[in-house]
Amino acid sequence: MQLRDKIEKHLLSVQKPSRYIGGEVGSVIKDKSKVDVRFAFCFPDTYDIGMSHLGMKILYSLTNERENFWCERCYAPSEDFEAIMRENDIPLYALESLDPIKDFDFIGFTMQYELSYTNVLNMLDLAGIPVFSRDRTEELTQIVVAGGPCVCNPEPLADFFDIFILGEGEEVNLELMDLYWEMKQQGAKRIDFLRKAAQIDGIYVPQFYSFTYKEDGTIESVTASEGAPEVVQKRIIRDLDKVYYPENFVVPFTEIVHDRVSVEVLRGCIRGCRFCQAGFIYRPFREKHTDTICRETKCLCENTGYDEVSLASLSTSDHSEIDPMLTQLIEYTANERINLSLPSLRVDNFSESLLEKIKKVRKSGLTFAAEGGTQRLRDVINKNVSEDEIMNTCRIAFQGGYSAVKLYFMMGLPTETDEDIVGIADLAQRIVDLFYSIEDRPKGRGVQVSVSCATFVPKPFTPFQFEPQDTREMIEHKQKLLLDSVKTRKIKVSYHDPNVSQLEVILAKGDRRLCKAIYTAWKKGCKFDSWEEHYRFDKWLEAFADCGIDPSFYANRRFEYDEILPWDHLDYLVSKEFLIRENKTAHQSKTTPNCRQRCSGCGVNKKVGRECFC
Amino acid sequence: MLRVRAVFEKTGRSKYISHLDLNRCMLRTFRRSGLPIWYTEGFNPHPYYSFALALSLGFESRCEIMDFNITDDNMPMEEIRDRLNAVMPEGMGIVSVALQQQKITAITHADYSFTLETAVPEKLIADIEKLLAADEILIEKKTKKGIKTVDIKPDMQVIAFNANERGVEMKLRLPAGTQTNYNPTLFFEALKNAGAEPFEPACITRTAILCGDGSDFV
Repeated sequence: MQLRDKIEKHLLSVQKPSRYIGGEVGSVIKDKSKVDVRFAFCFPDTYDIGMSHLGMKILYSLTNERENFWCERCYAPSEDFEAIMRENDIPLYALESLDPIKDFDFIGFTMQYELSYTNVLNMLDLAGIPVFSRDRTEELTQIVVAGGPCVCNPEPLADFFDIFILGEGEEVNLELMDLYWEMKQQGAKRIDFLRKAAQIDGIYVPQFYSFTYKEDGTIESVTASEGAPEVVQKRIIRDLDKVYYPENFVVPFTEIVHDRVSVEVLRGCIRGCRFCQAGFIYRPFREKHTDTICRETKCLCENTGYDEVSLASLSTSDHSEIDPMLTQLIEYTANERINLSLPSLRVDNFSESLLEKIKKVRKSGLTFAAEGGTQRLRDVINKNVSEDEIMNTCRIAFQGGYSAVKLYFMMGLPTETDEDIVGIADLAQRIVDLFYSIEDRPKGRGVQVSVSCATFVPKPFTPFQFEPQDTREMIEHKQKLLLDSVKTRKIKVSYHDPNVSQLEVILAKGDRRLCKAIYTAWKKGCKFDSWEEHYRFDKWLEAFADCGIDPSFYANRRFEYDEILPWDHLDYLVSKEFLIRENKTAHQSKTTPNCRQRCSGCGVNKKVGRECFC
Repeated sequence: MLRVRAVFEKTGRSKYISHLDLNRCMLRTFRRSGLPIWYTEGFNPHPYYSFALALSLGFESRCEIMDFNITDDNMPMEEIRDRLNAVMPEGMGIVSVALQQQKITAITHADYSFTLETAVPEKLIADIEKLLAADEILIEKKTKKGIKTVDIKPDMQVIAFNANERGVEMKLRLPAGTQTNYNPTLFFEALKNAGAEPFEPACITRTAILCGDGSDFV
């Protein structure tokens, strides 16, 4: 029986079958006999989530622009379909051709969050591809690669991947595929290809690096072999106005998480919030021009038929042309009855005119990231937002007819005390009081302040990479304190499971010795760890114990400044000296100005060879 | 304003688009086509279009009906058809476009063809003949008011019935429209309840939407 028939035979007994059969508008079908290199772009989570990922849309279209390459999509099946696949020997397949991905030249994963690691193993296994890199064929095929933010510390995944691609993929992916095709024609073996690939900037081949450890468990040395570079530097795109941007997206039939056109407005961030990994690993700050943004918006809306567009960036209001850009965009979207949504606005430059523009397109709740409950703590994390600014923004919002605000906070930040936690409740209370002090507040409705509290996860390549995470007991104490400090039902508090955040930090800051634990956890049935209903922390603890790993070594230990960190041989342009300097400044509760105000010497401009702002 | 009725096919991979998703899919199809479709004038204006009958997930169809309005009175029907077909998803296509003639309430029946896959078609054929010869075919049907037992025999018409290499091929005419709707799965269920030879329904296709006099709904 053909694979397609096999799939279709069972499709009607699963939830949302259109996720598993392809055929969406915008998907790219090619004649496989005329294609040289086939790339299975895998997202290690379900279709609904993976289809929302912008990076995948960009690289999918970019690769398919090349006549001799065919990039297809592949997602993790939900539990119901996975059971059917395993029962009926249906190997994991790509959605365009419905061919098994084990026959592809490249199997590429985008690693967006640590809790998707076990899904990679599960997908490889479903595909019939050996989970460990060392068990794969010697022939030149089935190269398993990964990119995305998590590969800035790829060590916990090192045993499962042949290649990691550091930084932005628009150029390096094609270079890698070109090299592959060139060597494939010469009849090269897998190892020959990996050796040559390691010479491409931004390519990290983990098997060419070996680690030794000290008695205390910290890293003693990292040694490169096979001619691979000692340090691998991430890739960046220099000019965002010239870089490829898709003219079309695959338009799903079933509803996905971000079911709209996304247009990227800038990369990098000028802010330097010390907890934020994205704010450092995506440097330098680069903008697209208003004209480019408007052209891409129009083109994508026309080709996809979406009636909603969202601007994607780390901080959209930091775009130097935000006002004229929105004016120009709204002119188009209002005329075409398209909704424009603007995530990632900052509290400190939220103007009345900006609010007016947002109100024109949509009147939903407003969300702000305050992150810390007291000014002292906000200074520690370099979230340069003052209480006056928060209050002022809320006042503008309330006067503009809003009656619901959502505030994001973190718990367990470095130097945090009980006072900072009570400060969260106090701040929320002052916002409630502010609402009732305003004469022209929205009538007939009460105010609703939602406080959402995440547990702080220290991440590589941030000034807080050295920091320990609070233990679960500490976090539970703080959560209870926060709940007890809230005195009104107008404030709603929600928070994360500290067990989940603990696994996140272990996987984020872990080294190569964790590969075994990830494998063991997966063998014990762990997958979809980011889904509350699937998360099994007890299995993870068993796996750590089985592998002789002490989770607190990674989660709750301060990493020393002079320690060799698992990611020190990877260069994300920001220097370690800068991160140490920022860490020290944080502990003095001092702030660092944003990149537009003054260069703080993170080192990116020197490495890129040009100033970030002229 | 042109009150337009399109007949469209839903075949191949597109049979896995649920009715709810089909709504969203058509909205985007209209937007991609750039056709001057009429928007409702309420608080939240949206393009107006409606489907005559819902089609079960997994069924194919050669005759789905979609009504909508075009604000340009001079637009030729061929242009509407071609512009939609240029931007339709795989497996879906407009068969014809014409001005609406009958009211939706004129629909009374629909025809379905399908194959009942089975190892020994002769046995299944005998079982089907036995079922069809019974005085009544009772089946529990879920309605909005709850489960009730109905006799589908009086309203069911067998149009074709023969064995092929995969099993038994059948064509049924069943009530459809605003009053009574029978899904061919009711017949499958009745057959299973009667202890018939095991079978798997396949290739279920709606082939016609009809009026009381047996003519195509237009």
